[in-house]
Parts: sequence; C-alpha cells; structure tokens
Amino acid sequence: MSHSVTSIIIRREYMERVTKKSFIVTTILVPILMLVLALLPTAIMLFATGDTKTIAVVDDSGLILPNLQSTDDVKFIDAWAPQDQMLSNDSIYGVLVIDRNIIKRNSGLKLLTPNAASVNIEAEITGQVEKIIETEKLKAYDIENLDEILSEINTDVTLQTIRTDESGEEGESQSAAISSAIGTILNFVLYMFLLMYGSLVMNSIIEEKNNRVLEIVVSSINPRSLMLGKIVGVGLVALTQIAIWAIIMFGITTLLLPSLIPADVMAEAQSINSGTADMASVAMDSDIAMALGMFTNVGFVMKIMGLMLLFLIGGYLIYASIFAAIGASVDNIQDASQLQTIGIIPIFIGLFSSLAVIADPNSTFAMVMSLIPFTSPMVMMARVPFDVPGWQIWLSLALLYLTIIFMIWLAAKIYRIGIFMYGKKPTFKDLIRWARYK
Amino acid sequence: MLLKVNEVSKTFTGHQALDKVSLEVPRGSIYGLLGPNGAGKTTLIRIITHITAPDSGTVLFDGHPLTAADTTSIGYLPEERGLYKKMKVGEQAMFFARLKGLSKRDAEQRLRAWFDHFGISDWWNKKVSELSKGMAQKVQFIVTVLHEPKLLIFDEPFSGFDPLNAQLLKDEILRLRDNGATIIFSTHNMSSVEEICDSFTLINKSHNILSGRVTDVKHEFAQGRYDFTIQGDTTKLIPALMPMVESHSFLDMDNGRTRLSVKLLPEVALHDAIAAVNNNSTLVGFSENLPTMNDIFISAVNKANQQ
Repeated sequence: MSHSVTSIIIRREYMERVTKKSFIVTTILVPILMLVLALLPTAIMLFATGDTKTIAVVDDSGLILPNLQSTDDVKFIDAWAPQDQMLSNDSIYGVLVIDRNIIKRNSGLKLLTPNAASVNIEAEITGQVEKIIETEKLKAYDIENLDEILSEINTDVTLQTIRTDESGEEGESQSAAISSAIGTILNFVLYMFLLMYGSLVMNSIIEEKNNRVLEIVVSSINPRSLMLGKIVGVGLVALTQIAIWAIIMFGITTLLLPSLIPADVMAEAQSINSGTADMASVAMDSDIAMALGMFTNVGFVMKIMGLMLLFLIGGYLIYASIFAAIGASVDNIQDASQLQTIGIIPIFIGLFSSLAVIADPNSTFAMVMSLIPFTSPMVMMARVPFDVPGWQIWLSLALLYLTIIFMIWLAAKIYRIGIFMYGKKPTFKDLIRWARYK
Repeated sequence: MLLKVNEVSKTFTGHQALDKVSLEVPRGSIYGLLGPNGAGKTTLIRIITHITAPDSGTVLFDGHPLTAADTTSIGYLPEERGLYKKMKVGEQAMFFARLKGLSKRDAEQRLRAWFDHFGISDWWNKKVSELSKGMAQKVQFIVTVLHEPKLLIFDEPFSGFDPLNAQLLKDEILRLRDNGATIIFSTHNMSSVEEICDSFTLINKSHNILSGRVTDVKHEFAQGRYDFTIQGDTTKLIPALMPMVESHSFLDMDNGRTRLSVKLLPEVALHDAIAAVNNNSTLVGFSENLPTMNDIFISAVNKANQQ
C-alpha cells in the first residue's frame, strides 16, 4: 500500500513542476542559449573573414617585402606612390614602413593606418616579419647547407604540433585541453543541478510545512515515504530536463554537426577515433580535430553520459536528503539560510576541488576527492574525460551509493521529527539530536 | 468501542505532552476532545491518526492495535488547514482522495457528488489561491470525509466559517454520525460541544481530568443547584430557606417575579427545600440548574490547576 501511496506523491511532485511555465521555458531556452553561445564565435568569424585588407609596404631594407606572404586576411603590395597618397586611397588599409636597418636594429617597423588597430593584422605582420628577420640573421652566419638546416628547423616546427599530442596514451588520441573543457562543463552542470534541485526539494518541504498541508498528508502516509516521494519526484523532474537537453544535444551532434562539417574533416575525425590518424598529417588545428574526434566517438560519449547519469543521480540523492532534512527542520526560507550551508559547503568544495583536479587529474588529491562521497560526483566527473582507472570509478560509485542509503535513513529520521517542530529556529545540534531519537 | 486509548504517554524533549491518558470513544458517537491550549490534544490526535507513536500505552482501533493501514479508515481535519496553493481544487482533492486509497474512478465520482452537494462544482478548475478561507475549508472538509472513514477527527471545524456555513457543516457532521461514522471533535467552543457531543474528555496539562457523557457530567456538576421562580413577595422566604442553602442569589424579573438560584447544603433533601419555598411564597417555577459546558470546563480546569 505504501508503495502505491508513494507513487501518488511522486506523481504530484512531478506533475506540479513539469507543467510549470518556468520549467518549460528554461528547458527549451537553455539549450537554445547554449547553442547560440557555441555558434556565436563561428558566426562572428564567418562574418569577419572575406574582407581581405590590403597593406602597402614601403620596404627600405629590400629584404622583407619579397618574403611577405599574403593571406586570406592580409594582402601585401609594393607601395607604388608616396605614403600620403597611399593612405588616402580607400582600398588601402594601411602602409607598412620598414626601416632600412631593421635586421640589425630589431625595430623600425611602423604601420600607418587611418583605421582602428586590429590585433589579428598586427599579429600577422609581426609574425611574418619576425620569421623573415630570423632567416636573414641565420644567413648572415654564412653557414654551409643553410637551406637544409632551415628545412630541418621547419621540421621542428611540425614536431611541436606532435608534442601536444603526446599526452594521449596508447595510441588513443586525447587532448588535455579538450578533456579539461569537457570536465569543466560536466562539473558546472553537476554543480548547477545539485544546488538547484537540492534547494528545490528543500523549498518544497518548507512550503508544505508552512501552509500545513503536511499534517493532512502525513495522516495518510508515513513521513519517510513522503520524503522519499518528494525526493524521487523532484529528481525525476531533473532527469526529464536532462533527458530533453540530451536529446537536443544528441540531435545537434548526430544530425546537425555532420551536415555542417565538410566530409574530409569528418573523415579525419573518424581516423582520429580509430587511432590511425597521424596527427602530423591532419591539416586542421589539432585541438579542433581532437574535439571532433571525441564528440563523434560514440563509445566515449556513451561512457561519459552513462557515468554522468550515475554520478548525477547519486549526487542528487545525497544532497536532496541533506536539503530535505534542513527543509523539514525550519519554518521558513529565512531560517533555512544558516543551516543550508551544511549542504552548500560540500558542493562548493566539490566544485573548487574539481577545478584544481582538472589541472592535475592524476594527483593523490584528485583521487581522494573523487572517492569521498560528498565531493565524488563532481570531482570524478572532472577526471573522467582524462583516463581514470576503472577500479577508482567503481569504488567511488560504490561508496557514493552506500552513503546515499545512510543519508536517506538519517534525513528521514530528522525529517520525521522536524516537520512537527514549529516556532523554533533549529541548530545543527538539534538536527543531530533529532536524528538520534528512536 | 471504536477507539480505546489506554494509558498513553508521550514526552518530547523535556516536556511531557501526555501522561497516561486513557479514553474510550463509543461507536457512532460524537466525542468531544476538550482542553486548554497546550494541554496535549493535538499530540493525542496525532497518536490516534498514526502520525506519531506513543512512548508507552496502547491504542486499539476497531478492536485491534492501531496500524498504518488504519489511516485509510480515519479522516482528519487539522486545526491549521492547508492546501497546495498552486494546484487546482479538483486535482488537489483527487490527490488527497487517492492518498486515502480510493481508486481514481471512485475518487472522482464521490468528489463530483460532494461538490454538487455543496454547490461548488464550478470550483473544480480554480486554483486554491483563488479561494477564500471559508471556501478552502469546505474543500478540505470534503477531502476529509470523502473516503467514508469509520473515524473522523475534526479539530476546530467551525473556525473561519460564517454562521450559515457553520450550520451547514454542523448538519453534515450530524448526518455523518447518523450514517454510522464515529466523530472526535476537538474544540474550544463549549456551546457547540453542548449541541452536538454525546460524550467528551477534558485534558489539562497532559492529564485526562474529566470524561463521560455530556448529560451525566452536567448532572454530576449540578450538585444541588436549583432555580425557583417566585411570584410576589419573598420576605418570608429568606429566613425559612437560609439554613438549607450554601449560597443563594436573587434576580428580579420585570413581571413582578423573582428568580431565586440556590445551592443546597449536601444534607438537605430536595423535597424539604421545595416545601420550604412553597410554604413561604408563591412558587410558579422550578428547575434544576444544570451548569453549562463552559462552567464545567472552567471549574474542572481551575480545580485541577489548584491541586
């Protein structure tokens, strides 16, 4: 009987929230907002390019101009007229004046332009000019076989790209930057959900106690079932929201991304997944290639999603029971603020530990924090995108779920007493005392 | 007996709410649960409704020890009433009905009937926050009685109602009793106890200080109090009656009559007193002066507090 009654509670909690306008709005708006945020840089880049800037070069040294290479962004031309005339020409972005002794002086490079300074153009010019000067300086040493040496130096440049890839183990390509990014995102999602849905449970209990519905409800159902029903009901709301978001995300990655990304890029991403790709031969930026590889790797995504779900549910249950006990003990939200810290502090510790852990995912600190049940959901999810030994994940999950059983038991004891306590602002000590009641 | 509470005690941190309280509620009766604020009534009700467990003592419901399953046979209308503000009236009523174990169909059918009966069918889709206090209480009353429980517990059911609706509610409570329900009725309103209660118990400072049938207790508390109505002169009466009474008072009535209220000394026989009055004045009326429940409440509580 109590099972069916609990299901009635769950149903009510669930329906009340899922049918709320605010729930529907946030559920739909958040992914759209995230999508916009994700696409914004790309969109800006798309609009920003296509506009090639022409720079007239006045090269007094005679060494730089022949080696300057025009790109999509900048086109270098020899100045055919005096500076002033060139500058008044609308098709000329600016005039680059190169000093006769630039190679010796390391200075004497001036860009005259009526336009606002552009970081991209400055970087392009200095980058190219630096290289040219370096080469010229080397030439001054009269080294034999200089061309060969230079080409070797060029090979070194390619080797640098490979160096970042060395963090990938056993041929499985991985990028610390991407892993950190994924870890950070997962971490913030967890943080948001634990705090948001934890306090939702608390507020709902306070409200029920405040308007005295509680008394009627507990005359039909025992307080423990009521508390569990509430936690499960609100938890299902959270899962619904995540499920909707996941479906939207899944739709974007499987349907939208492949159609947006050119076929050869996809092929490269796939070859990264299968481990056959020689990173040196990948044409595009290696981080982007790696990210594509990870996101289009179904196994990896499933592993992350599965673990995320387990840790999210586990973390939610722990914090929801803490917040439920707090909610039951106080008369109104104002009184709750002090006790709330019992729930909020571990969440913050989890969040900040995770940020440290992302920087060094295999430290002892990282391991310990990802095993302690109160911080483990967040810290472990920060580590999972990097390779974590399987036994640690399973141990962490086992500890987490064992603690949940204990926390729910404890919360139910406090809840049972707390809901009938009115008019007194309880302290942490009171909660402990209530938990000890038979 | 539908309900037998036997020596129930309950202590909260440093405060004894109930101390060996016993009471027996006869089947099909309306039972008053009376007592000053903080006497322990709510705690007792919570024990009877299986919300909290007693530290010691037993509660027998319908012949067996009270269990969680019995909550479907009990309906409780708490003094502090509340409904989920954001839910619709109908939805909410359905929720509570389902909690009491009614099937969806049964619940809806019965609710519709009750809503019709109270003339509030058009509230079904209203939000609770749109209802007035009295309206919400009507809904709450329906929710309490809907599952046709054997035992109904009303805590101050009339508070917040206008006289018209209070009468409506009173009639409903009597009808429920006539249909076989047993009703525990907790209130501070002593006149309503007199009107509808068959028996009662008075709890003071966690003790049961007085129980019994309303009429029996009234007679017990009367203790030789009588009213004589006398036409005309009363001067001869006083010396004749004085040796027989503990106390007396006169009240002049406007048609030349006087109301004489007396409390007889314990050893004086009633017929001697009547004879004394009759022989010395023109006696036109006589009645036993029964105390009101209000008097009984006050004198019982005062007496208990002095001990």
